[in-house]
Amino acid sequence: MHRARPRAELVRRARPTGRGGETGARARRELVQVLGQRKLFQKALPGMMHASIFWGFVVLVPTIAEASIAIVNPAWALPLLGSSAGFALLVDVFATLVALGVATAFWIRKIQRPSRFDGSHLGEADRILVAILAIVTSLLLWSATRIALGDAPHPDAMPISHLLSGIFGGGPKTELAERILVWSHLLLVLGFLSYLPGSKHLHIVTAAPNVWLAKTGPSGRLEPLELDLEGPEEDLRFGAATAADLSRKQVLDLFSCTECGRCQEVCPAWATGKPLSPKLLIMALRDHVAANAGAVLAAGGDGTGVVELQPLVPAAVADEIVWDCVTCGACVRECPVDIEHVDTIVDLRRHLVMAESRFPPEAGALLRGVEGPGENPWGQPQSARMDWAQGLEGIRVLQPGDAAPEYLFWVGCAGAFDERAREATRSIARLLAATGTDFAVLGPRERCTGDPARRMGHEYLFTMLAEKNVATLGEAGITKIVASCAHCFNTLANEYPDLGGRFEVVHHTELLSQLIKEGRLNPHGAASVTATLHDPCYLGRHNGKFDAPREALGAAVASTVEMPRSGERSFCCGAGGARFWMEESGERINEARFAEAAATGADTVATACPFCLVMLDDASKQGEGGPRVADVATLLAEATLDGGPSA
Amino acid sequence: MDVVVFAKWVPLGTPELGEDRRLVRGRDDGLDAADEFGIELALQLTERDGGEVTVVTMGPEGAAAAIQRALAMGAHRGVLVTDDALAGADALATARVLAAAARRQPFDLVIGGVESSDGYTGTVPSTVAELLDLPSVTFARRVDVADGEIRAERQTAVGYDEVTCALPALVTLTAGATEPRYPSVKGIMQAKSKPLDRLGLADLGLAAGDLAPSQSVRAVEPAPEKPGGEIVEAGEDAIARIADLLAEAKVI
Amino acid sequence: MATVWVVAEFEGSEASGATLELLTAARQIAESVSVVAFGSGGEGLAAAVGSYGATRLVAIGDDTIVGSPRAQAAALAALAKSHGPDAILFPASYEGRDVAGRLQALTGTTLMGNAMGVISADAARTEILGGTQMVDVALEGPTPHIVLVKPRSIEAASSEGGAADVERVVPELPAGLRDATVVARHEETHAGPSLDTAQVVISGGRGLGGPEAFAMLDDLASAIGGAAVGATRAAVDAGWVPYAYQIGQTGKTVTPEVYLAAGVSGALQHIVGMKKSKRIVAINKDPEAPLMKMADLGVIGDVATVVPALTEEIRRRAGS
Repeated sequence: MHRARPRAELVRRARPTGRGGETGARARRELVQVLGQRKLFQKALPGMMHASIFWGFVVLVPTIAEASIAIVNPAWALPLLGSSAGFALLVDVFATLVALGVATAFWIRKIQRPSRFDGSHLGEADRILVAILAIVTSLLLWSATRIALGDAPHPDAMPISHLLSGIFGGGPKTELAERILVWSHLLLVLGFLSYLPGSKHLHIVTAAPNVWLAKTGPSGRLEPLELDLEGPEEDLRFGAATAADLSRKQVLDLFSCTECGRCQEVCPAWATGKPLSPKLLIMALRDHVAANAGAVLAAGGDGTGVVELQPLVPAAVADEIVWDCVTCGACVRECPVDIEHVDTIVDLRRHLVMAESRFPPEAGALLRGVEGPGENPWGQPQSARMDWAQGLEGIRVLQPGDAAPEYLFWVGCAGAFDERAREATRSIARLLAATGTDFAVLGPRERCTGDPARRMGHEYLFTMLAEKNVATLGEAGITKIVASCAHCFNTLANEYPDLGGRFEVVHHTELLSQLIKEGRLNPHGAASVTATLHDPCYLGRHNGKFDAPREALGAAVASTVEMPRSGERSFCCGAGGARFWMEESGERINEARFAEAAATGADTVATACPFCLVMLDDASKQGEGGPRVADVATLLAEATLDGGPSA
Repeated sequence: MDVVVFAKWVPLGTPELGEDRRLVRGRDDGLDAADEFGIELALQLTERDGGEVTVVTMGPEGAAAAIQRALAMGAHRGVLVTDDALAGADALATARVLAAAARRQPFDLVIGGVESSDGYTGTVPSTVAELLDLPSVTFARRVDVADGEIRAERQTAVGYDEVTCALPALVTLTAGATEPRYPSVKGIMQAKSKPLDRLGLADLGLAAGDLAPSQSVRAVEPAPEKPGGEIVEAGEDAIARIADLLAEAKVI
Repeated sequence: MATVWVVAEFEGSEASGATLELLTAARQIAESVSVVAFGSGGEGLAAAVGSYGATRLVAIGDDTIVGSPRAQAAALAALAKSHGPDAILFPASYEGRDVAGRLQALTGTTLMGNAMGVISADAARTEILGGTQMVDVALEGPTPHIVLVKPRSIEAASSEGGAADVERVVPELPAGLRDATVVARHEETHAGPSLDTAQVVISGGRGLGGPEAFAMLDDLASAIGGAAVGATRAAVDAGWVPYAYQIGQTGKTVTPEVYLAAGVSGALQHIVGMKKSKRIVAINKDPEAPLMKMADLGVIGDVATVVPALTEEIRRRAGS
């Protein structure tokens, strides 16, 4: 128990999360995810394995009391449950299931050996599994001796124990065996409980509260960081600098990790040979926090005995690892105990960028660009914002004082300045114009939403840009926004409300699929024979928009095919988290993704975000031939307005 | 080692002529990016050897923003010389003001940009050096200081010279001589409490007569416009057209 | 008419092109043109500068003065005080700016940097906003008026004059002038001719997207032969190529037979440095780019495909 107290204390004294309310939703999540083991069943065999052990433990808890009573007096029994034949049956069955679960776990770990366990503490897991096996085996054998001795009230309800009772003949030897087994069972349980706090098996205690505290709503929303630049400097916190800066949820995350590696398995950085693994990151932070618990606890409280704490980066995590993350959220989605890796990584970046100005130098161009006169990462002048619309008619640029349109088309910087993304922008505008949708653009009054700065950790710059945009949109009387960039969409829809900007935000594929349903868009050609959709992370996984892009795409092409990793489990293009502006080491994420798309045999890779478009198009140019990369809107425009693929 | 760095406040966007035929100012103005290289050098030297960096700017009140940026990068103090008599100051007036402002504190090194990104006169640092009785290394693309001596690579028409120069001295840096840091938010915050002196001409012991402009615009007329040629889409035909043009010019 | 001095740059008995340009301009505005040459070899210029209209050559100091802008400025200031020229013209070179700037501190007279031509000893011409506007500036106040003229702004023309009269001056310099010392000189030659003399200049801008793309331009330059590669300030500031590549207001002025711009939008500061090229070809994705509009031939397209295709075409033509 000596290991439990500092951990509990670390959680208790950590920064409050400010997360509360929505009790119903949180309770439902506990039921589905903890009791129902929903996320564990994302993998069938490991899911069944874990569920057997978990449900077994839940059922077997009263047997600890039963054994404790039996130690004092073998004749005593638990009230109610002790005399229930049904409970006896449950115990027997679930103890067996736990044993089978442990066997399966060993099968997975020793025979299958999936790579997600690379870097996990395998020896510790083995010891715990052996302990669990010993606990349920001793329980079953104890029951068997009781049956042999005729002490069990419902021997027929305990088929497995009954079977095992054949080993024991009854008599004094069995009586001795009964004593030895009940004592060893209880000692094993106590030993297990005392081993628990220092091990990854602490998740038995921390998982439920961690799931309770997890974010509600879209995972794409980052929580705002309060920056009081006018207040005293020593009170200012720019993000996670040391272990003492972590929030209660962040600390609980660390003590909830079971090292199962499901996050590692889906991480695009890890998959392409980069040093970042979400699992190893959480483990490193956990070990660092645990090793420095004394210093952290001394540093908190009344301020006396403040100890200089080591910086998390690089003491626990190397700089490079912090910058490898694309913030795609695949790890968070996969994690059975709702660890929020991405938010912690962004918090680490916040300190590096805002307090120390420490980041990959090439990303400086992005920050200087959005700070500069053009307020965009491309460093282009605002006067070039409407270049995409040259040659198009019927594009209304909203001037100050103009009547608000039904939809403001938020073009985004990529859509305005990147030549390939402009094609998608033009297609959207043409489709909206062709359907008579009442829309307008802000033109040179639009500026970066702040998403890349924010994901890079520059909360201050994000806030400045966002406040200006919220003011511009508010003054223009905008109520509905259609965004083509998945990142702009996420920021406008989920993060601007925190700054007072509440708009009804739809993605262009949502609006287009609605126009198709309403019969206002009638595709009459097919822009592709077979297309496959790449789900943008910030449209799909982070915001749950999977159907709209598929409906719009389905209407534009003859047939579609899914990639092995699609929908909620889509694989990032490599651009998110401001990675678009950073150099990439090793295998390219976009090339890995494009290869996966090409392997479906599709002639077209469709996407719905300018960044995905550029990344995948770049990858497509690495080889000869291969499928074409295009936005859903471009394909739809070809099928609707042009009657077929354009050159 | 104490360093004085000159910084200029310039329009950052595309320059435009106002109705008064002067450059439009006040919109999107900021610290001249060309000056960030020198500020970075000053910071690196003082971080290594100790001492203070003073940033000197001449301009209207808004030019304080340029100093704030330098202070956020890490400079220790700022001096803004602002005076109505300085509107339209020419190269000599600018040099006299900068030299007088530099003299107000002890220094070992004075750093300037090669030339401003809006005026391009390119002689002001040399004039300042002469007024301060300093040797100078202009157009330096790499600078280090050791044992009271500057070691620099100076750009030349055909390459570069390795140059040494004893301190105190003045250097001007070309673009890319250093990799300027991006100011942290912490730096921006700390900049607000750093000393920023606002000085007028009287504070520098200068009179408006010392700074009377000695140039005036006699005429402005549009330059003869070169008639544009033809614009074609890329393709085999376009490639052939370029090759034909090269052949016509007898260069292939 | 006025007395005008030209500060010469020279090697051996040859005056630099910029010096001859200044002499050509000076003799249009002055009845007496003198050349000032620093160092022991100055006398050797008599014939060269005489044939461009200089009547007098003042050779100042020995070789110790050559590397000292401070000493040059001090000597010039003393000489100007006793002789009273109306204007002193410098090439707007690295050295010219050093000496002229210091001279101004000593004379307290007006100075104009980056002139494109001289109208009289009291007026000069320059261009602003990337050469879209010509400005005539009156030079006022006491003399000598100091003017730096950008090389290649004026076409040099011989006057068929005889050798200039030589006067040698031993300057009296203030004691204890400290200067920088040149320890070593390095030449950085990129393959092929220099930007100043190349028949064809290929320049890259921010539109190239990164430093790797310059290899593509080098390849084209070698296919053409006699071509030099340059860059815009944006590409230099981004660190893609060294400062020596820079063409524009800051950087070199080039006047090749063909100027081929790849991914160059045509910022005003760049256009100043290349607008006198005989023929201009621009390759850019954006048909609205300013340089496309002034090009003899503008090609709308991706540099990454057009340039290699052009290289191939030129090689094919050379082969056949």
